[in-house]
Amino acid sequence: MTGEPLIFDDKEEFLENLRRLVREGVPRDSIRTITPFAVPEVNEILPRIRSKVRFFALIGAASGTATGFALTILTSLSWPLIVGGKPIVSIPPFIIIAFALTILFGSLSAFLGFLLLARLPSIRSIRSEGEYGNAFVILVEEGRR
Amino acid sequence: MADTETYARTDQDILAAMGKPGRAYLAGLLGTASLAVIGGLLWAYQIRNGLGVAGYTHPVNWAVYITNFVFWVGIAHSGTLISAVLYLFHARYRTSFNRAAEAMTVFALMVAGLFPLIHLGRSWVFYYLIPYPNQRLLWVNFRSPLIWDVFAVSTYFTVSAVFFYVGMIPDFAVARRLKEGVRKRIYSLLSLGWKGTEREWRHYNKLYLFLAAFATPLVASVHSVVSWDFAMSIVPGWHTTIFAPYFVAGAILSGTAMVITLVVPMRKALNLYSYITDDHFESIAKILLFTSLIVTYSYVVEFGLAWYSGNFVEMESFRYRAFGDYRYLTWTMFFCNSLVPLALFARRLRRNTAVLLAVSLLVNVGMWLERFVIIVTSLAHDFDPYVWGSTTVYTPTYVEVGISLGSFGLFFMLYLIFLKTLPVLSITEIKEHL
Repeated sequence: MTGEPLIFDDKEEFLENLRRLVREGVPRDSIRTITPFAVPEVNEILPRIRSKVRFFALIGAASGTATGFALTILTSLSWPLIVGGKPIVSIPPFIIIAFALTILFGSLSAFLGFLLLARLPSIRSIRSEGEYGNAFVILVEEGRR
Repeated sequence: MADTETYARTDQDILAAMGKPGRAYLAGLLGTASLAVIGGLLWAYQIRNGLGVAGYTHPVNWAVYITNFVFWVGIAHSGTLISAVLYLFHARYRTSFNRAAEAMTVFALMVAGLFPLIHLGRSWVFYYLIPYPNQRLLWVNFRSPLIWDVFAVSTYFTVSAVFFYVGMIPDFAVARRLKEGVRKRIYSLLSLGWKGTEREWRHYNKLYLFLAAFATPLVASVHSVVSWDFAMSIVPGWHTTIFAPYFVAGAILSGTAMVITLVVPMRKALNLYSYITDDHFESIAKILLFTSLIVTYSYVVEFGLAWYSGNFVEMESFRYRAFGDYRYLTWTMFFCNSLVPLALFARRLRRNTAVLLAVSLLVNVGMWLERFVIIVTSLAHDFDPYVWGSTTVYTPTYVEVGISLGSFGLFFMLYLIFLKTLPVLSITEIKEHL
């Protein structure tokens, strides 16, 4: 349950109030904010765990590299046909495929990670607006103020 | 200090572009769509009658279609440069151009992707290029640059499309708030229910950073791979080590020119003078000038390498390029890509959008010609001296010209649709910098 939202027109006023709440001892994890654009100061005032999107990016990229090499090497070995006098397992050209798949899998996996971590798409928010427009909003969980 | 009123005005200003289309817009849409339809019909004609309707004459079997492919992939590059590389460098003027540039990247790649299929002749067997176990258990040849192209370009398209979409998610939430009816429902869906909580922003910023970081190497890698389609062969004029950086510089030059070509009229038509200023144009003009200098240097190196090699085949190939059957095209290319952009050394001209538009249009012409000159002159003068005479000179047929014009029609049509359906500037980023 969240209490009455505190709504501000001005970014500085919003930040001041956010700092005040933290100073007053309101637990940081009970405070939520909604802003019309990214406000980096919020992360300084309410330090959260670093975004885990980076793990998704890393795992995706690594699996892309592995897939690239596996696809090229294993398919070449499955029908060993010498083309243009080059070795069956020709690493330099295979690097290009592995590189492309690294980028592809890394990007897609980071995107999926973002959707999971940010809990999007949110069916409830798609259906009902509940918008604060361009205002800066602070929500505090009830009973913890 | 900005307040909600200023932010609301920004929302209105930018989304005003998505209002009811005027006559000029509809005329533009009709014109570009007609060109695209004509191109499509000519492609159908070519499929019906075979590649003989193109002007290919031995040994010129790569010509206008491949020129278009390379040209459009090149156009895409500067979109990524502006949206990803400038993001990593925190260049503020990026916000004026990034959305238009990202849209351009996606549309240019859609158009580029058609040309290998058109060039195949038997377009319906394009899937031979995709690695899958066919009935004879043969796989594609991963040592072939053409397969590298498939991977490079399809990766590039996918990553650019994701980047384009992700950048728009918070803006869709704004559009949803201000639009009514069906549009509201569509933008609601596209916004994924974005609310702007600190959790969403935290992960979003990280994702955007990673996508920019993933897209940045693509600026260098994709056109390098495209250049290897040529450089990996042994045709004089193609087989050279400078091709990768040379093509990448050319790609950014042509792409920047195309961004200017698109954004100058867009700013005027949509009245976005307070968001895209002359200062911003000046910054992007410097990228154009800088890449033009790199391209000029590459021209000098290319000819210099042929001369210094002492190899008469190589020297003859470049003599033919400068003084042979296609000399007018070569010199037009030098004029457009190397000489005209030098005007931008003058600050006054950099800040004059009419001059900038004229320069960028000429660079577009020059860069298309560059690809044509590299591809056609090298092939026309390769290992078969019997056909070196001017009676066998390759000239494009009306089918090739029509399909090429159709590709421009398709590209500009997609861009016009973009202007009326998606936010043309990054609303949230602009608000962040207010």
